[in-house]
Amino acid sequence: MPFTMLTSRMVEAQVLPGQTLFSQRGAMLAYRGDVRFTPSITGGQRGVRGMIGRRIADEDTPLMTVEGQGTVMFGHGGHHVQVIDLAGDTLYVESDRLLAFDGSLRQGTMFLGSQGGVMGMVRGQVTGQGLFTTTLEGHGSAAVMAHGGVLELPIGPGRPVHVDPQAYVAHRGDVRNKLSTAIGWREMVGRGSGEAFQLELSGTGMVYVQASEEKL
Amino acid sequence: MAQFRLQGSRVLAVDLTGDSVKAKNGAMVAYEGEMTFKKKTGGGEGLRGMVTRRLTGEQMAVMEVKGHGTCYFADRASEINLVSLHGEKLYVESSNLLCTDSALRTGASFTGLRGSAQGNGLFTTTVEGTGQAALVSAGTAIVLRVTPQTPLQVDPGAYLAHTGGLKQHFQTGVNFRALIGESGGESFQIRFEGDGLVYVQPSERNTIGGEL
Repeated sequence: MPFTMLTSRMVEAQVLPGQTLFSQRGAMLAYRGDVRFTPSITGGQRGVRGMIGRRIADEDTPLMTVEGQGTVMFGHGGHHVQVIDLAGDTLYVESDRLLAFDGSLRQGTMFLGSQGGVMGMVRGQVTGQGLFTTTLEGHGSAAVMAHGGVLELPIGPGRPVHVDPQAYVAHRGDVRNKLSTAIGWREMVGRGSGEAFQLELSGTGMVYVQASEEKL
Repeated sequence: MAQFRLQGSRVLAVDLTGDSVKAKNGAMVAYEGEMTFKKKTGGGEGLRGMVTRRLTGEQMAVMEVKGHGTCYFADRASEINLVSLHGEKLYVESSNLLCTDSALRTGASFTGLRGSAQGNGLFTTTVEGTGQAALVSAGTAIVLRVTPQTPLQVDPGAYLAHTGGLKQHFQTGVNFRALIGESGGESFQIRFEGDGLVYVQPSERNTIGGEL
């Protein structure tokens, strides 16, 4: 697990020979040692299929490959950073929230519109995020950005969690998401257009919620 | 009685067991369990509260959240401060009030001078009774004690709330102002006298007083 939090907004990564790290381009703040940064043309993705998926999904945040031996400090836009350690499970996160992640994690894109039927299709309009999201799977860590601090809420059988789509950051595990409306929620005059819906997450896993309704 | 807990410094968790809280519209970020949301107009009690609000523009968009489970509130990554009231009255800028126990009565009170501080007319929001309230602030708020021997001057833009038997009035700091040159809001202060507590945030809102 290469990431160490320095402050709530800065993270330090250990880079070791033979291990690759991906980070958002321009997110490097400082480094020590012998470290090379190369723009990753394939968006960090291995294989053509992933690339096509990205092209269609518009889920391509420019990444760079970090290799060598040393320590690198990452931070971006003064956003809060949350380190998420994966142990074989899958993390679902918008690509522009990814600050840095282990090269050992398998990347993919997932079509979320298929979940929750027609309501799921609304997701893009509601959250301002696409109908596709990036997936990271395997053993390793990812540093994810959020506006304000991050709250981790466990999701269990019979214990679904409802999230304001504008405060949703990421989720992991075996989780179904659908857009729902709470009683009385529709007629509330909210701050944004997203207020009329809530993201209902059910299954087994964890959802990460930010302490703000602001976009990154 | 709703239980207020802080998750970190920017998220408020409220445990509900069939009771309800009043909260700033749109401040819910997540919830577990069964919750219903009802829009409330004003936030003041009864018709009189409504009328004063209509007149003063001290308008709060409030929702009532009722149910069983845990509801999480946050407001643009602002710091959250919990205040426990035991029968006393809290005076607070309406924009800084995040959530109150429904057992607490909210209303508007005539202060005569806060207007220049916030542009909210001459009224401020009051919260009274026994229960918890949550205030949002830019940065961690500090609580300053005022005694008859130690009055306190506060920058209107940094004022958050106060409790106790305090008299407040405006004063201008002429020398201060000449010294600053840039009128950064410090040309006016609110002077608190009496016995009570004042909540101050380490940041300044833009106030009409500061524009002068």
